[in-house]
Amino acid sequence: MARVTIDSVRKVYDDTVAVENVSLTVPDGEILGLLGPSGCGKTTTLRTVAGFETPTEGTVAFDDEDVTHVPPEDRNIGLVFQTYALFDNMTVGENVAFGLKMRGVDPAKRRARAEELLELLGIGGLSDRDPQTLSGGQQQRVGLARALAIEPRVLLLDEPMTGLDAKLKRRLRNELGELLDELGVTALYVTHDQAEAMSMCDRIAVMNDGHVEQVGTPREVYERPANAFVADFVGTANVLDGVVSDGTLDLGFERVPAAGAPEGPATVVARPEAFRADSDGEIPVAVTERTYQGDHVRATVTLPDETAVTLRLDPATLTDDENVRLTLDPTALHVTDVDVEADSDGAVIPN
Amino acid sequence: MTALSRRFGRPAVTLVLLVTVTFLIAPVALTIVGSFAREWTGVFPAGFVTFRNWAEVLGLADSIGSQRSMGWDPLVVLPVGDGLTLMAPAELLFSVGLALGGVLINLVVGVPIAYAVSRYEFRGKEWVNAVSVLPLVPGVILGVAFLRAYPVLSGTSFGLIVGYSLLKAPFMVMAVQSEFESMPLRQLEESARSLGASWPRTFLTVVVPNARSGIVSGAIICWTLAAAEFNFSYVVWAKGTQPLALFLQRHISNSTFTKAAAAVSMFFCIVVAITLLLQAFGTRGFDTRGT
Repeated sequence: MARVTIDSVRKVYDDTVAVENVSLTVPDGEILGLLGPSGCGKTTTLRTVAGFETPTEGTVAFDDEDVTHVPPEDRNIGLVFQTYALFDNMTVGENVAFGLKMRGVDPAKRRARAEELLELLGIGGLSDRDPQTLSGGQQQRVGLARALAIEPRVLLLDEPMTGLDAKLKRRLRNELGELLDELGVTALYVTHDQAEAMSMCDRIAVMNDGHVEQVGTPREVYERPANAFVADFVGTANVLDGVVSDGTLDLGFERVPAAGAPEGPATVVARPEAFRADSDGEIPVAVTERTYQGDHVRATVTLPDETAVTLRLDPATLTDDENVRLTLDPTALHVTDVDVEADSDGAVIPN
Repeated sequence: MTALSRRFGRPAVTLVLLVTVTFLIAPVALTIVGSFAREWTGVFPAGFVTFRNWAEVLGLADSIGSQRSMGWDPLVVLPVGDGLTLMAPAELLFSVGLALGGVLINLVVGVPIAYAVSRYEFRGKEWVNAVSVLPLVPGVILGVAFLRAYPVLSGTSFGLIVGYSLLKAPFMVMAVQSEFESMPLRQLEESARSLGASWPRTFLTVVVPNARSGIVSGAIICWTLAAAEFNFSYVVWAKGTQPLALFLQRHISNSTFTKAAAAVSMFFCIVVAITLLLQAFGTRGFDTRGT
């Protein structure tokens, strides 16, 4: 496995800029998620690393070797697609062994290696089947086995679970995450699903409009979003306006300590769990909509300043009344600056 | 209305289907039945059962003279192996061969065109698309244009082959293109490339085999249409062995209609045989099994 360095990559198609000044480093053995809405440039970035796109500017390197102009077949990469893209003219075993065949490994050896990988992925015994006869989850495992068979320097996964149903996705997510960790694979994982990115990736690069908005661990990205876009894209974010003066944040309906935050007008991100239903609370609100979700109630409430926010409240403490009282956990708030630079962290209200 | 359609919907559809299928199949069935008749002067053939027509068409009957009178070319003797030989009229084999030649050209030219159009965005793509479908013009028109453009090919077998391939190319391109468009073509190709296959190798071992069902149906359509093409053959053919369609037309109105029926029936058999053969080839022939 290798370290991947993407340096100041820019990609222009005709007159559209797909990717602008993207610099990312994936250390050996790390899974880096590329997360963002469709058209944000995440797939273009992946395809640049694969070698199917040549960057207009910038370079791609594996370890210290510049591979910017190396054709895909010579890069030694593993690719896994949403569509699985299995070769229907070959059996499962031949699919997995295809890369080894291209490398001139002898038949007995590559068959053994294919069996071993299928076994590892929990689908041993399917070697002689036709790919079309397998379920979606099995096909995806075959795709992964095929990519891993060549011991790639980097594994590139493009929305690998988007076609699977929710339950299978959850299961495969855990299994795949563990497997990739175990194998110590360096991987780029493209997805638009933040839950998938959070559970699969060591770090996440949130992309928007061709730019990287923030790179960080799942926790950093969720708890300390660099800007309103990241806050909104990763999880649910309630963006509130406030003013910081003399180390205090004034939200209009509530004042909380905010030592260290820059003075002046501030954009504040409040996650749904920042508020708690509490009959002794100081913030009176009106519940306009509530959906019971079992372990929590998802409620839309109107704050005293008429702002509507989405909250995740505990059914045990939430009454059925329309008017309830809330308390705010100041440590769960995050002051951000909409205009901050991509890779700088927003100021955080100290605990 | 809903009650009505629920009550009669299915039987009505079944009936329409049955009538249509019967209407379509009747001529074929009648021809095959007629090929075993002694005479066919009225609406229905009469005087069953004789194998004489078939025997004469296959050149197994003694009366070569009657065949000659009917205008067959000399029979072609095909060694089948083990001392067995099969004799067949030259016209039949001639048309079978011409059509296969046309299909071969279509495979070599049509598959890459279909691939390019479905895989890539390029300037003039719409034009390539339009031009590849253009030969859907009637055979007469293409035939005249063909003679004007390539007088040297006039009346030659090669001219007929090239013409058939041109005329039937749209069917190949459309069949293969729709197959390519129904699969994740780009991802398949990129998977193979990432695994170390060069582009030519990817094309031959992954792209083409994955499109085999489209290629096979395209080949079947092209072949059957080319083997029976009348208009183009009529304009371009000059001398020598006649394409089957011309031969049949020349003799179909004669009193030897039962023999023509036998020849047509034989042609049906060949169409069925070639179709089955191509299908079998399609499911097995492209396999790159055995790592």
